[in-house]
Amino acid sequence: MIKTPMQRIFAVLRVIGVLFILYFVTFPIFWMALTAFKNNRDAYSTKIFFEPTLNNFRILFDGNPYDFAPLIMNSVIVSVTTVLIGVPLAVMAAYAFSRYKFRGQNLLLVLVLSAQFLPATVVLLPYFIQFRNFGLLDTRTGLIIMHLTISIPFAIWLVKGFIDSLPEEIEQAALVDGCTEFQTLRYVTLPLIMPGVIVATVFTFVGSWNEFLFAFIMTTSNRARPMMVGLLALNEIDGIPWEKLSAASMIIMIPMFILALTIRKYFVAGLTMGAVK
Amino acid sequence: MDRGKYAKYVMLGPAVVVTLAASLYPMYFALVTSFRDWRLSRSLVPQDFVGFDNYVRAFQDERFLNSFIVTIKYIVISVSMSIVLGLLMALLLQRKNWLNTITKTLMILPFAVSPALRGFSWKFMLNPQYGAFDKIVDTVFPFMADINWLADPLWALIMLAITEVWGWSPLVALMFIGGLGTINPEITEAASLDGANEWQVFWRITLPLLSPIILLVTLLRIIFSLKIFDQIVTMTGGGPGDATQALNYFVYLNGFKFFDFGYASALGYLLLILMLIAAFFYVRSLLGGNES
Repeated sequence: MIKTPMQRIFAVLRVIGVLFILYFVTFPIFWMALTAFKNNRDAYSTKIFFEPTLNNFRILFDGNPYDFAPLIMNSVIVSVTTVLIGVPLAVMAAYAFSRYKFRGQNLLLVLVLSAQFLPATVVLLPYFIQFRNFGLLDTRTGLIIMHLTISIPFAIWLVKGFIDSLPEEIEQAALVDGCTEFQTLRYVTLPLIMPGVIVATVFTFVGSWNEFLFAFIMTTSNRARPMMVGLLALNEIDGIPWEKLSAASMIIMIPMFILALTIRKYFVAGLTMGAVK
Repeated sequence: MDRGKYAKYVMLGPAVVVTLAASLYPMYFALVTSFRDWRLSRSLVPQDFVGFDNYVRAFQDERFLNSFIVTIKYIVISVSMSIVLGLLMALLLQRKNWLNTITKTLMILPFAVSPALRGFSWKFMLNPQYGAFDKIVDTVFPFMADINWLADPLWALIMLAITEVWGWSPLVALMFIGGLGTINPEITEAASLDGANEWQVFWRITLPLLSPIILLVTLLRIIFSLKIFDQIVTMTGGGPGDATQALNYFVYLNGFKFFDFGYASALGYLLLILMLIAAFFYVRSLLGGNES
């Protein structure tokens, strides 16, 4: 096809537009990544060329005054436990919602869905009061419970979408052959909905890892405080030490980038619970 | 009890418990508390029922009305920016080539950055002395050099929205690209053959066909904008003054700074009502998409 000069100009403009998008999307991340390797003086300049240092990462762990090691530990334990408890429960519930008929089913489904729309501040108050009574404030267990309440409803809805799209006949064949319901779910349905389970796992993990509000209010010490909230401690006399904050941010962000990229095909579908694919 | 029935209840049991714990219980508890006088500064246990006093108080409280207006302004700014920008990005990235593929892959990264971190990152870039974004704006638009972004009430709100737009507009674009892909190219080709120019094709054909997805995404964005909280803590602290004190943050202040549980619960319920209105329309367009 021969291009007219006008079409050529449009093609060039389009490429410039795309490059601008690329810049808008990556610049804030790039800038933090760069700052993480700057020394204190360079961090407060817009230099792109400088002598890189790993000092900022070291300072975060030397215990004087910052000690992020226990905070990373808390983040990992809370997120992993939330996934290990939340995802299997959500898969079982999604299976039950999708495959059985029972009284109150629709009401329960509406409640599952509406749980995702509750403002976190409304959910927080009752739990804050109960946790105070049961001594669960500032514990990882408390935080895990909170994270389960937000992740399970979302995961149920997500996985249910995947199960709904499978024909029921596949399972019936297994049941006729003498499998129990649990065996059918485990050996027939689960392998077929694996993409959905992986997406639910990633969303649950990322959601828990990045969660801020609950952790901000429920934790008061390094006993349970995750990385995300630990960042607030990076505050010195002359303001936020951006080079250290950037270093800590890299530690938080990079694992999430890797997880997000592994499910990139399903990212959009996951976010809208399968409505837009 | 046969095996099927037994399995059903085992599978459903935990889900029911969690759902009740995640939605019904907090909703019930907050509703009851919203009708009570319960200030932690006075008493550890809830005091008398006071009817609708907490709700009446909200509508007489200028700070609540302020936070309500801030929230509405915030939603308008943040939602419109992410939809317009998302649409623009989608149109630019629609064609398949290697540059677009790389861009579309990198576009999911901002969303993986937690909202709290987005707030930090933009606060850093907006600093009038050494912020990278501030420097760039000063160079490209010298007349904007004097703006101190987070000290100006309107700019602070816009920048708060930008942190969210940065995370969301790429995803909005990806959703739109999905929608554009479902439009039959024969329709637009036919229009071109009939003499419509690209502009007309966009306004008369592409946009109307995309409108169900635009509606869905708008509602989703409204729901998430109502929840804005993390960035307020890490970026503006509600300031300057109370210019970025959105409703969710205002509930938090009353509940966990002033420990006025009764009032905070009432405020939370008002926020919940707004949320459920948006959620109702969202779920309707999510589930009823095929019927209409």
